[in-house]
Amino acid sequence: MGEKKLSRRDLFKETSEVLLGGGILASIMSMNGCSTTGAILESSRPDTPSPLNQPENIIYSVCLNCNTGCGIKVKIQDGVAVKIDGNPYNPFNMVPNIPMERTITEAAQIDAGLCPKGQAGIQTAYDPYRIKKVLKRDGPRGSNKWKSIPFEVAVKEIVEGGKLFAHVPGEENRYVEGLRSIMSLKDPDIAKKMADDIHAYWDEKDAKKKKSMLQEFKTKYKDHLNTLIDPDHPDLGPKNNQLVIAWGRLKGGRSDFIKRFGNAFGTTNLHGHTTVCQGSLYFTCKAISEQYVDGKFKDGKKFYWQTDLEHARYVLFVGANLFEANYGPTNRTVRLMHNLASGKTKIAVADPRFSKLASKAHKWLPVKPGEDAALALAVIRWLIDNEKYDKKFLSCANKAAAKLSKEKSWSNATWLVEIKDGKPGKFIRGAGNTIGALVNGTLTFFDPNSEQNAVFADLFVDQNVMYNGTQIHVKSSLQLLKDSAYQNTFMQWCTIAGVDPYDVEEVCRELTSYGKQASVDIHRGVAQHTNGFYNVLAWMSVNILLGNIDWKGGLVSASTYSYDGKKGGVFDLTKVKDTIEPFGISSIRHGIAYEKTSIFQGYPAKRNWYPLSSDVYEEIIPSIGDGYPYPVKALILYMGTPAYALPAGHTNIEVLSDVSKLPLFIANDITIGTSSMYADYIFPDLSYLERWEFQGSHPNMPSKVQPVRQPSIAPIPDMVTVYGEKMPISLEAMLMAFAKELGLKAYGPDALGPGLHINCPEEFYLRGVVNIAVGDAPGKEVADADEQEEAIFVRARRHLPKEVFDAHKWKAICGPYWPKVVHVLNRGGRFEDHSHIYDGDHLKNAYARLLNIYQEKTAGNKYSGNGKPMPGIATYMLQQNFKGQTLESLEKGYDLHLITNRTITQTKSRTTTNYWLKPIMSENGIIINSLDAQRLGIGPGDQVKVISATNPKGEWDLKNGTRIPMIGKVIITEDIRPGVISFVLGFGHWATGAYDIIIDGKTIKGDKQRRTGIHANAAMWTDPALRNTTCLIDPVGGSVSFYDTKVRLVKV
Amino acid sequence: MAKKKISKKYKNSEETPHDNLDNEPYEFTPVDRKRALALIGSAVGAGLLSTVVARFIPSPSVPHGNVTIHKLPPITPTGVETDVLIRMQNELRKALAKPMEERRWLMVIDTRKCVGCHACTVACMAENKLPPGVVYRPVITEHKGSYPRQVVRFFPRPCMQCDNPSCVSVCPVRATWKRPDGVVIIDYDKCIGCRYCLTACPYGARTSDFGNYYTEHTPQIQPYEQLESFEYNKAWNRKNHDSPVGNARKCHFCLHRIEQGLLPQCVTTCIGRANYFGDANDAKSLVAEMARSSNQVRLLEEKGTKPAVIYLI
Repeated sequence: MGEKKLSRRDLFKETSEVLLGGGILASIMSMNGCSTTGAILESSRPDTPSPLNQPENIIYSVCLNCNTGCGIKVKIQDGVAVKIDGNPYNPFNMVPNIPMERTITEAAQIDAGLCPKGQAGIQTAYDPYRIKKVLKRDGPRGSNKWKSIPFEVAVKEIVEGGKLFAHVPGEENRYVEGLRSIMSLKDPDIAKKMADDIHAYWDEKDAKKKKSMLQEFKTKYKDHLNTLIDPDHPDLGPKNNQLVIAWGRLKGGRSDFIKRFGNAFGTTNLHGHTTVCQGSLYFTCKAISEQYVDGKFKDGKKFYWQTDLEHARYVLFVGANLFEANYGPTNRTVRLMHNLASGKTKIAVADPRFSKLASKAHKWLPVKPGEDAALALAVIRWLIDNEKYDKKFLSCANKAAAKLSKEKSWSNATWLVEIKDGKPGKFIRGAGNTIGALVNGTLTFFDPNSEQNAVFADLFVDQNVMYNGTQIHVKSSLQLLKDSAYQNTFMQWCTIAGVDPYDVEEVCRELTSYGKQASVDIHRGVAQHTNGFYNVLAWMSVNILLGNIDWKGGLVSASTYSYDGKKGGVFDLTKVKDTIEPFGISSIRHGIAYEKTSIFQGYPAKRNWYPLSSDVYEEIIPSIGDGYPYPVKALILYMGTPAYALPAGHTNIEVLSDVSKLPLFIANDITIGTSSMYADYIFPDLSYLERWEFQGSHPNMPSKVQPVRQPSIAPIPDMVTVYGEKMPISLEAMLMAFAKELGLKAYGPDALGPGLHINCPEEFYLRGVVNIAVGDAPGKEVADADEQEEAIFVRARRHLPKEVFDAHKWKAICGPYWPKVVHVLNRGGRFEDHSHIYDGDHLKNAYARLLNIYQEKTAGNKYSGNGKPMPGIATYMLQQNFKGQTLESLEKGYDLHLITNRTITQTKSRTTTNYWLKPIMSENGIIINSLDAQRLGIGPGDQVKVISATNPKGEWDLKNGTRIPMIGKVIITEDIRPGVISFVLGFGHWATGAYDIIIDGKTIKGDKQRRTGIHANAAMWTDPALRNTTCLIDPVGGSVSFYDTKVRLVKV
Repeated sequence: MAKKKISKKYKNSEETPHDNLDNEPYEFTPVDRKRALALIGSAVGAGLLSTVVARFIPSPSVPHGNVTIHKLPPITPTGVETDVLIRMQNELRKALAKPMEERRWLMVIDTRKCVGCHACTVACMAENKLPPGVVYRPVITEHKGSYPRQVVRFFPRPCMQCDNPSCVSVCPVRATWKRPDGVVIIDYDKCIGCRYCLTACPYGARTSDFGNYYTEHTPQIQPYEQLESFEYNKAWNRKNHDSPVGNARKCHFCLHRIEQGLLPQCVTTCIGRANYFGDANDAKSLVAEMARSSNQVRLLEEKGTKPAVIYLI
């Protein structure tokens, strides 16, 4: 790509205006007092103590080199962050964490644990390939040719549209619609009314009535039909929906900032990336946590549980890579290792790979990829056969019974389901939405939420009962689970799962030998299959049978101090003036059943629908490619690279590179990344060491927390002015400028109420910190920082420019809460005292609600690929395509099962910039068992190409003339199941500084170190039933299929 | 053991180890490294030189006594349960209240708790601003057995701070020596970069600093690599190819941190809390307790180096 050779010095000069390369950071700090005591080394060189553990050289913040978000101490030397350590106040880093009352002078002396990626985060921030100015495409999409343009010009062009790329051959006459025109519906009242009518339409079951409702809608809104995507299908919503905002890693605060824009703009299409991580784990647990309210199941939480490792006695980890990923190494390892070494805790690991975690286990079950449910059903069958389930817990039919049994949660194990034509349907209901169960053989109707009238009911029921005057067949939820587990014998299930039944039996015995302090802790290995939802449900059913939820040493869920002020904080950050209520079918068709919509056209639907899940990452861009359910006009992508992260991510490149499918593509990124390289405009963003966010918590953390990410170093991007305030170019600056240009009231003067402006990001985020500091009830506020602490606080920020830190301005924003804000920010967030997190043998921050073993709501939905009902109970399923067909046709001739794994030094797409991690693993390879290598005649270090039925050429087509073959070196090992191969995610990059780019006509050379190794995601199967437009999917839980592809290795 | 003798001898005594090691208090004059290197020319020449030069270069003076005493307040424990990091930091502070010759730093690594995460490796690189090619504390992975009955173990490998260090005697300029507190150190201002010590160390614990930067193949070398490092409580600025560029480098248990009452970086950052560190002379310390474990091994003991780092397996 290079046109002329430049020396590094020349390049520095040329690129300094655009990249960080040229940024010379101000040297503010002078070295502290030198002494010549020679305490360590007597020499003429004077003693110079390290200044890094003095409180005025430390800012407490939160890591984001992976999503665990551990606490960090950013240590500043001469204005530059040079060292990152763990934050002792934060329970992710230290156990027990030091109490909030401890002074920051003392805390400065305590460095806590942190993983290697956390240490290397400095290199994410100070990446020489960081962009500083807005870049506009100066060639076809993906050509890697850019020109830097003023921020204001970019904002104007994007808002107003026009022939924006007339300078690019082939696009001379392409008119690009701007945001102003896409935001067609501008009347908040009409939007609200239309939204209500569309919801009523969806709720209507009668087909005839539905039809007439559409007609009425057209008449009622005849003056506004031009604001709709399709007046014949008003439930597609307004044209505003044709702006999609999608993101990779987004945390609290910034999520609210985006939501404000979305609500003011009136698009329903704000989509996250959950399904590329472990979506089906979240959405199965959401289905498990649906609550029975007014006869319906609702209010399920998008969350999951993990084990409380501090007190667990026995844990079976399934598809969980605890020491390398998995929310996360720093916080979970410290809780586990002492107990393991002392013998208090024993673990077993089910994983096709002999992971580092497996190396510490008493049993390794090398389960076949995707057969997780078979193994779980073997365990369930064993528990039931041996009556080792928690009878007392399961017999609690309602809250009152749970209370009497000293349980915090209860399940629907005993609730009776009507069986019609052999299939389970709904729970049988009595008057006032009561539920039926057998109590000592007698049909009894009861209130499942009652706190007074305890009902203990019969566990296994399979019989006829008199119900509303007729004989009906009913089964209890637990009976349905038993039926599912009894489809095979214990031995048969073990054979399917490919594991030794004696090993499984030993694990079962152990699992039932420690009461509530035994659990199954699962992660994405279980979830990322086409059968992910039911794999997760099977394992979570094991936990419900063990009755370990809410118990110390059992299963725990996350708990946080809220920042948004929605429920009684000082500032309500969720209120947006003149909201255009978003409505209509989302571009990824989530949260609504296909059958309820006006575009229902029988089965299969053109693409999958997701009534039970959301944030379906693999659908965002391929749906744009298909124009289904409607064409999209503009995409804003924040901190995400679907092309790199998704299985078969090359399908996304096909759409992103095509201006006819996606007319306007705006990216917000810190570098030119593997997906943002296809954008029309890239707005530089702040790295996590420069910005605000509220990190939240993770399912394994028993303490209530709210870690606060705050600016710790001077921003890398250029400064711009929005709403009269100077700020670095960032996600916030970009959205605020769009909003200002469009006249939206999401930000700017009085955005949060009279006198409560959002003229700069601090006016938003500091108020979130106020909410955290004040707490959720009177008397729950943190202490005030004293004057000395405040002085240190200010001094620790002396390297930050005024636009980022201005003590007077900050103080004014916080008003009387300022000393409390200083207290929280000086500690990197708010963290509960360790002595408060247990309540006897229970977790204090408990789930304490209904758990669904049988899911009536799930069973009421249909697969949009074939119209069949979704099972409502843990069920063994084969891997399937969208239409429900098995995948044998793709397997023929491909002998190896491809999976992936994480190593602690890489977080998929974004850590290739971290050079300190390179000496540990400079490149990845294809990990293969020695038996397979022998069979295939492959030796150590041989280069092999990975090919599959849907990528027989074995290459990435970057759609810019470059094709990257998926070739990697072979790593022969004993540590993987024969027949299975794996590769570490995080290598084989085609951007992010890995290759040359041209900015303003000048070539910036890429660094070869960033492109080493192989990224074999493009070999993963695309779904032929979806015209190969996307990877295989879990149609229920939404997860992508990461571990179901069969491949062949071709020696190169 | 040699060290114990020293500390015993000078306990409650006006005599100093410094006097013991050298007859006259020695005022250090930096050796002109460039000239020395030019003189060396060849390995044979160097061999000759090492004996010649060593004869004329006096032994280093070692600080001792009151100047090495640090009275630091203890860290407040968190209650009944305390992270071992806080306990060990307090034990370290207790040891610092004694003169250097009365303490003996010891590291015990529990391999059962090591998960091979390399946090220590990277923390050390950052703390000491190590360039490419220099790693003080790698973690070595050992694979044994075959599917499905295999063993994987991890061995972090700091400098063993040997009681009989083979790296010290080969130094032609006496730029490296063992301190009475057990740590083998290098004075970069004296080191001529001959790399004898690299070859002599059976553990491969020493590496050469070739003056490279991680970001040198990018548009701009980054300041975090170029700023001063604080090893041995001195400021080292490598920008103009000054020391430690060209020198031998190795782990020194973060003496500059210990001096401030802080644990070594590899200890504080360890997510499995696999490292025990403290004063071996304090029998009640956690590290001393762990050093009494029966399941211990030391690396390459047959070499006669008397490694001071203990592994629990």
